Amino acid sequence: MSTRPPLSPEDRDVLAAELALGLLDGDDHAEAAALAGRDPEFRAAVAGWTARLAPMLDEVHETAPPDRVWSRIEARIAPPPSNVVQLRRRVNLWRGYSLAATAIAASLALVLVTRPSPPPPPAAPQTLVAMMQSEGGPARLVATYDPQTRRLIVQAAAGMAPAPGHAHELWLIPAAGGKPHPMGIVSATAPNKMDVPMPMASDVREGAAFAVSVEPPSGSPTGLPTGPVIAQGKLTRA
Amino acid sequence: MLILAPRHVPLPYGLPPLFPSSLTRCMLRAMDAPRGSEEGRRLAAALAAVAGGDRDAMALLYRRTSAKLYGICLRLLGSEAEAEEVLQETYVTVWRKAAAFDAARASPVTWLAVLARNKAIDRLRARRAPAEDLDAALDVADEGPLAPELIEKAQDRHRLFGCLAELEEKSAAAIRAAFLDGLSYPDLATREGVPLPTMKSWIRRGLIRLRGCLER
Repeated sequence: MSTRPPLSPEDRDVLAAELALGLLDGDDHAEAAALAGRDPEFRAAVAGWTARLAPMLDEVHETAPPDRVWSRIEARIAPPPSNVVQLRRRVNLWRGYSLAATAIAASLALVLVTRPSPPPPPAAPQTLVAMMQSEGGPARLVATYDPQTRRLIVQAAAGMAPAPGHAHELWLIPAAGGKPHPMGIVSATAPNKMDVPMPMASDVREGAAFAVSVEPPSGSPTGLPTGPVIAQGKLTRA
Repeated sequence: MLILAPRHVPLPYGLPPLFPSSLTRCMLRAMDAPRGSEEGRRLAAALAAVAGGDRDAMALLYRRTSAKLYGICLRLLGSEAEAEEVLQETYVTVWRKAAAFDAARASPVTWLAVLARNKAIDRLRARRAPAEDLDAALDVADEGPLAPELIEKAQDRHRLFGCLAELEEKSAAAIRAAFLDGLSYPDLATREGVPLPTMKSWIRRGLIRLRGCLER
């Protein structure tokens, strides 16, 4: 965009100082800021000038801000608690659906039983739910598992994002005890949908548990949890 | 009955800023830093904990630094309402970006002070810009070219003040007014009643001499 000749090293450094000082306005500022955006060397020069000049800020008179500022900041950094409540509601909804489905199945069975010939249908396997929480805390992740489709859905509450450079890994702890099976990294944002493979599916049943541990970004290097367990919960019928 | 790793096993990698036990580790790490006062170390530890989502550390950081940062915003903006808003934005940014702070490279107070100043300067620029330029100005601010990647050794205040004292008085006064009061070239030219090119040459000459002095 700029048709100007390239700046000499000295002019570039002066430009970096002008940007650091906030002297530039309008197009001059936009151009210099864009240069800083694409040129790391220039950006470093701006940072260098900012650092050189920063001690001047020591002279500024301190003034206590009104209390309302902290209240507003606190409100903005608070975790949205409504999300866990929403998760609970959703689980209750699932429970409701499942109860309704059971009731309908039962009434159908009754109709069928009163009729003479056809054999009774096999009882539909029930959806299982695990509310994973830290000790005594609110639910942090919810897993629902449909034994018929072997579809597992894991949803994290808000504020469950792993720290930078880490991931959350899901583990299945069989009802009979023994080693946890790794079930993969769980995203904190999107619902995690996975199909449980056949041999493991028989372990996903009432009494087994799910747990989530903190692991390196690519998951546990050992196949067993290496970091702290942040949430766990048993599978129960929905 | 769950056979899982105990809750506080040492992690074989990086810094896990999720748990209280990590706070101690952050503090130890910050104390290893060769520079900085006791208060600086305490604030660096608080910043590291804030990066891990620790709200108590955030409250401590605010208690210890907000008067300084509010003073900076107030001086630059001259309006309590705007200074309060910018102060709020600054700390919300600190909450989100605390992980970008590097105790080995900058003092926490300087990092925070520069962050507040940059936000206040952005606000001043947005105030000056005609409405249609406002979005562009804010976009540029978001790119963060002024991100305070501060290098501690450059912050020798005695040297800075010594070098400012060596400049012509009008150059030094203009540089200080730009940095501390947020005055741009046109503002400064109007205030001093000189043509814009004159003001530019005063300041540029001053900056070149200042750099020469600081590098000595």
